[in-house]
Amino acid sequence: MTALDAAARPDKATAQTRRPTRWLESGGVWAVLLIALILSIGPGLYLISLSLMDTPQIFGGRVLAWPIHPENYPQAWIVTRIGQLYWNSIYISGISTAITVAISALAGYGLGRIEFFGKRIVYALILVGLTIPLQIALIPLFANLKTLGLLNTPLALIGPYTGFGLAFGTYIMKGFFEELPRELEEAARIDGAGDLRIFATIMLPLTRPALATISIFLFLQNWNEFLFALTFITEESRRTLPTGIYSLISTEFYGNYPLLAAGLVLFSLPVLVLYFIFQQQFIEGLTAGALKQ
Amino acid sequence: MAEVRSPAHPAAPFAHWQRHLTGYAFVGPALLTLCAFIVYPIVYSLWLSFHDWNGYTAQWGPFVGLRNYLDLAQDEIFWKSAVNSVVFVVARTPFEVGIGFALALLLNRELRGRSLLRTLFFVPVVLSLIVVTILFQRIFEANAGLLNTSLREVGLGVLTRPWLGDTSTALPVVIAISIWKNVGFSLVILLAGLQGLPHEVLEAARVDGADRWQLVLKVITPLMRPILAITAMLSIISGLKVFDLIFILTRGGPTYSTEVFATLLYRQAFELNDMGTASAIAVIMVVVIMGTARLQTLLLRE
Repeated sequence: MTALDAAARPDKATAQTRRPTRWLESGGVWAVLLIALILSIGPGLYLISLSLMDTPQIFGGRVLAWPIHPENYPQAWIVTRIGQLYWNSIYISGISTAITVAISALAGYGLGRIEFFGKRIVYALILVGLTIPLQIALIPLFANLKTLGLLNTPLALIGPYTGFGLAFGTYIMKGFFEELPRELEEAARIDGAGDLRIFATIMLPLTRPALATISIFLFLQNWNEFLFALTFITEESRRTLPTGIYSLISTEFYGNYPLLAAGLVLFSLPVLVLYFIFQQQFIEGLTAGALKQ
Repeated sequence: MAEVRSPAHPAAPFAHWQRHLTGYAFVGPALLTLCAFIVYPIVYSLWLSFHDWNGYTAQWGPFVGLRNYLDLAQDEIFWKSAVNSVVFVVARTPFEVGIGFALALLLNRELRGRSLLRTLFFVPVVLSLIVVTILFQRIFEANAGLLNTSLREVGLGVLTRPWLGDTSTALPVVIAISIWKNVGFSLVILLAGLQGLPHEVLEAARVDGADRWQLVLKVITPLMRPILAITAMLSIISGLKVFDLIFILTRGGPTYSTEVFATLLYRQAFELNDMGTASAIAVIMVVVIMGTARLQTLLLRE
C-alpha cells in the first residue's frame, strides 16, 4: 500500500533528503485526516454533550456539559416511553429482516443457479426494485392498508419493508450463489439430491457471510425507516423509534432539549453497537453491492 | 450470468419442465412480494394519477385524463421543487464524491489506525436521519445554536442569521448536512475500489518515475473512473429521493425554498388530500429517477 509514498522520485532523493519531506508529508496527511475526523464525528460527540446538559446550559450556548446531568437518561427513558418504541422497532425490524432474508436466499439461489424461462425478466424486476423510490408505493399502500383495516398494525410496516428490502437482498445473494463452484452441486446430484436439499444443506451454509451482511444492512435500514412509518402508523403507542421521536419534538418535548438529546442517544445506541460489532460485514456488503453493478 | 445447465436427468421426459418449475419455486415468494409491493403500486399510482381522489371516499373521484399533470406543469411550486431537487443533486454529488475520493486516497496507504478511521468516518452514514436532523437543527438554530454562538464569540456576529429560516441559506445548509451524512459512504466504496486496482500498473508507473500527483491524476483517476461514476450515480439517485432530512428540518420551507419532489408529494397527499396530483408527482419521480439511472448506465457502457 505504500505505492504513493515510494513513488516520490526514487532516483534523485537520497535517504537523508527524503526523510524530512516524508515527515512533513505524513504530518500533512494526518492533519487533514484529523480535521476531517473532527468534522465527521464532532456533531455526534456534541449530541452526547447536549444530552448531559441542563436547559440553562443549552440555551447559554455551552459546548461541553459541565457539571454533567446523567439523570437525563433515566428521565428520558421514562418520559419518552422509549421502552415501548424500542420494542416496536425491534419487533418490526426483526421480523421484516428475517422474512426478507429468507425470501432473498431462496430467490438468490433460483436466479444464481437455475436456468428457467423468464429468468431475465425476474432479474430485471429485481434491478428495478433497487432504484425505485419508496414514494411510488406510498399512496397505493396507504389506500390498500386502510381498506384492509391494517393501518396502525405491525403488518402495515412488515409487508412494505419486506417488499422494498427484497431487491437488495436478492441481488447480493444471487451474486454469492453464482460464485460457488459447480462441483459442489454435481456430486450431490449424482447422489440423487434435489435442489431443495442442495440449497439447504450444501449451498446455504456457505453463504453465511452474505446472509450476515444483508441481515445487518436490512435491519439498519428498517430501524431507521421514516416515510412509511410516518404515514401508516399514527397511534402513538404503536410507532417505531424514528417517528415516535419525531412526534415527541412536535409536542411537549420541543422545549426540553436535554431529554430529547438523551432520547436520541438512546435511540442510536443499538444501531451503533450493531455497527461496531459487524462493521466488517456491513461495509463489505455495501461495497460488494456497489462495485458489482 | 451462469451458463445454461443441462437438466438433471436427461432421460426423464419432463426433466426440462421440471427445471423451469424448480426455478419458479425458488423465486416464487420473491416474485409475489415484488409484484405486491412494487409492480402493483406502480400500476396503481399511474392509474390514480389520471383521477381525482381525496383519499377519504371509498371510490376514486372522476377520471380526469392528463389534468393532474397539466396542473402540475402550471404550478410554480412544482417547478420550484423540481429545480430544488436538481440543485440538491448537482450541488451535493460533486462534494460527496470529491471529498470521499480525497479521503479514500489519503487512507489508501499504510497508516496506523486506518481501519479505525474508516469505521469512524462511516458513523454518520449509520445514524438515523431523525437523529442527524434534530442535532443539526440545534447547531444551526438562530439564537443559542452552536454555529451562531461560536460566530459571536470570535467576533463574527455580523454573519449570524437564522440559517434554516432564511430563504437564501436554507437549501445550502440542507445540502451541507446531507454531504456530511453521506461522505463516508462514498469514501468506503472508493477505498474498496482503490484497493482493488491492479498493482502491476501502479508499479509500472512508479518505475517510470511518475511522482505522486502524476500517479493520482494520470494513472489512478482514469482507472477509477467506472467506480467514481457508480458512486456518483448512487449519490444522484438517493439525492432525487431525499425526504426525511428536509421534511423534518424545514418541511420544505421557508416559502418553498427547500421543497423537493418527495416533500411536495407528501404535502399534496396528506395535507392537501389530493391523491391524484400526488400520484402524478410519484410517477414523475419514477420517470426522472429511472431515466437518470438508465442514462448513467448507457454513459458508463461507453
